[in-house]
Amino acid sequence: MSLLKGAPFRLPRLKPYVPDPGDPPIFWFNGEREDVIRDVTRRAVEKHGIDRAHFEYVLNELAYNEVRRLETQRGDEAREQLPFWRGLVRRIARMSDEEKRATLRTLAERMARDVAGNFDPRVYRIAIRMVPRVLSGVMSPRSLPMQAIAPNVGKLDELVRCEGTTEKLRKLAKIGTLVFVPTHVSNLDSVVLGYVLEREGLPPVVYGAGKNLFSNPVMSFFMHNLGAYRVDRRIKATLYKDVLKSYAGVMVERGYHSLFFPGGTRSRSGLIERHLKLGLAGSAVEAFARNQVRGQKRPILFVPTTINYALVLEAETLVEDWLKEAGKARYIIEDDESTRYERWLDFLRRISGMEGACTIRFGEPLDPFGNEVDDDGRSLTPHGKPIDPATYVSRGGKPIVDTARDVAYTTALGEKLPERYLRETVLMSTQLVAHVLFRKLVRATPSIDLFGRIRHRGDVAMLREDLVRSVGEARDRLLALESDGVLRVSRILRAEPPDRIVERALDVWNGYHAKTAAKESALEITIEEPELLLYYQNRLVPFATRIASEADASAAREIARIGGS
Amino acid sequence: MPAPVAVVGGGTFGRGLAKALARTGRDVIVWSRTRRDSVDEHVHTTNDLAHVRDATLVFVAIPSARAPDVVPPLGDHLDGSHLLVHVSRGLVGDDLRTLTRYLRDETPCRRVGALAGPLVAQALADGTPGGAIVGTLFPEVSEAVREALAGPALRVYSTDDVIGVEVGSALVGLLALGLGFAQGIGMGPSTLAVFLTRGVAEVARIGVSLGAREKTFMGLAGTGDLLAAVAGDGRPEIELGRALARGMPVDEAVRTAGANIEGISLARRVAVYAARQKIDAPVCQITAEVLDGKVTPADAIATLMARRVTSE
Repeated sequence: MSLLKGAPFRLPRLKPYVPDPGDPPIFWFNGEREDVIRDVTRRAVEKHGIDRAHFEYVLNELAYNEVRRLETQRGDEAREQLPFWRGLVRRIARMSDEEKRATLRTLAERMARDVAGNFDPRVYRIAIRMVPRVLSGVMSPRSLPMQAIAPNVGKLDELVRCEGTTEKLRKLAKIGTLVFVPTHVSNLDSVVLGYVLEREGLPPVVYGAGKNLFSNPVMSFFMHNLGAYRVDRRIKATLYKDVLKSYAGVMVERGYHSLFFPGGTRSRSGLIERHLKLGLAGSAVEAFARNQVRGQKRPILFVPTTINYALVLEAETLVEDWLKEAGKARYIIEDDESTRYERWLDFLRRISGMEGACTIRFGEPLDPFGNEVDDDGRSLTPHGKPIDPATYVSRGGKPIVDTARDVAYTTALGEKLPERYLRETVLMSTQLVAHVLFRKLVRATPSIDLFGRIRHRGDVAMLREDLVRSVGEARDRLLALESDGVLRVSRILRAEPPDRIVERALDVWNGYHAKTAAKESALEITIEEPELLLYYQNRLVPFATRIASEADASAAREIARIGGS
Repeated sequence: MPAPVAVVGGGTFGRGLAKALARTGRDVIVWSRTRRDSVDEHVHTTNDLAHVRDATLVFVAIPSARAPDVVPPLGDHLDGSHLLVHVSRGLVGDDLRTLTRYLRDETPCRRVGALAGPLVAQALADGTPGGAIVGTLFPEVSEAVREALAGPALRVYSTDDVIGVEVGSALVGLLALGLGFAQGIGMGPSTLAVFLTRGVAEVARIGVSLGAREKTFMGLAGTGDLLAAVAGDGRPEIELGRALARGMPVDEAVRTAGANIEGISLARRVAVYAARQKIDAPVCQITAEVLDGKVTPADAIATLMARRVTSE
């Protein structure tokens, strides 16, 4: 019986790979793999202590959850595995304490094996040569043949911009363990981020990827062999979550640079994430405490990162999902735009026309307690004095592991990161144009709610010159906020004249989304699909009141309330 | 020998707290800008913030308005191992930032909390039986407070709804002020009851908009705290309200009440915040207007009573 079907393919290896001392930590992973699995298993089981009744509960809960999942899921996996779980349900009551513990251990180990990634330096080297060429080739298909021959990746460099603390991170990657915690809007996020890390001389990261992404054999081969671990969101059992958390934690403890999307899933609304549960990223806080107890002083540094797109691949499905308030229930959208190949192509073709279609911005790295650090990775107080981070996990002068405490630190970090996101968000031209149009809609439809407004298709228009002027004014206010350090503005938004900004935005939307966001005529721009505009403008919600003129103030206040306070 | 406990702030409340702490036999370091005489053999007074470092648990008992002068320099002497608990009834700035938030922003300390509930200086000093609540995310903070303070005379409860405790404590201060005022102008028990129940409901609405849980306001940090004020625990906010009702000018009334009262600066900010967030907050609004001298007490009551009655 195997818990996992279709283990990803790995290249055979005749002799063990010996990493160079200068290689990033992930190059050492395969040598440690068995060790990691052992650690993870032990920790996941230990978490449940020695209480007999509790052991039985964990087993029952697991078996019950799996039976229920497989019964509703059906298919090959169900046929193969259901008898095992049903049998387990019957056997649990008759098992001795020893048997229960042994069963729990076996199941935890099987899960850990299913989760564990692989890292093949050969695949990594192929990927770093191939990905830019394929990506940039796909982004501008006409140049594909030439791109394939000439390793000229200049085009992609232009498309995906990277800014922020890159230089500092390069240095810190050698001293400490980096934990990237980006905002999440698109399935493209991990690919683009992975590409940028490599291009900027930053180390590769390990991260948990939804098991659905492993269903495509080619994707699966690359993801698996590049150190991604598998997260099966369908499995709800406590033990599985413990295995995942332990895995994430053990990897950080061992110094593997990691990536977590602390928002959990893609932001359905397009709003900048405000409430983070952190989930797996929380295990990095505990990892710090565990390392301190062992005398391992290597800093663990969270890097708040924003991934900003002028055009979002899955915008239509995401916003629809948000409006249906189904975002919480539907963790896996089975059929959104990102699963259709031709949509990717179309998307990539579309953004190829735009300089800087995606901007990744790295914020100031923070220690697990929200303190900034200097270039040597030393934690700093709010007033810039060095401080020993070990004091945060110490009691009576000695570091200790305390789960309740680390949960609290995690909660506090979950409040800190959104503040950083706000500061590091790079606002794009499409978002501003959408905002100005949506603000007009709000003004034109007083005293009705959001759901009423999004039904106003095609009956609110804005004179082109008004739109251009409003965009210009709002842009100037954004620039003033940028110089105060409140937010960031994209290069195009900063440099282009307002009429060009408007033109670009309309062009890219109308060429890409199935629905027309706004229709142009010689004199005016008509709002055709308020939902789409809403999605794009939501990025600006936190700043709405500060970029509005007197006349727009009331509409801006209403917009500021979108998504609750 | 357990580490000493520190109290930053030598005002009425700080000294009462120090006395209650000393009762358990622990050494207490009291920092005060102006050095005062010790109130107990276990209480050591100082005007040097560096001495606070020796404690693990540090109570911050200063008015929120003075926080910018005291908290940042205090932070320079502390590190991640200190547990910081404040007792203020204030909220900072126009966005009503809680003081634990301010402590986290301005000091290296992260293990912070707020002590609230029906606590008054005199009762603490005398050891009169009572209760309190600690709002903190960190179980070790509530444990430390319990260990330092709890005893036969004081039951210390805890919650992880930190914002609820802080907003509750601050806004109950505001309601107590209104209550004293209403008593002062001779309102009867039924009017007071309406004022208080509607007041708590309003406070809860404001609290929820700031991220608190409604339930917290039904506990010691809300209703419990207010009941003690009604029962006459001698709290300064009531005195102030009564003095205002007698027609005393605000600054003179504050002197009469004899303690720093956060409610005065808070009322206006809460009213503005509620209006901006479109939260129905007539009690806070009217209190702010009375304090500003914009409406007479009689008009205030008339306005409140003339509001349309809806379902509760």
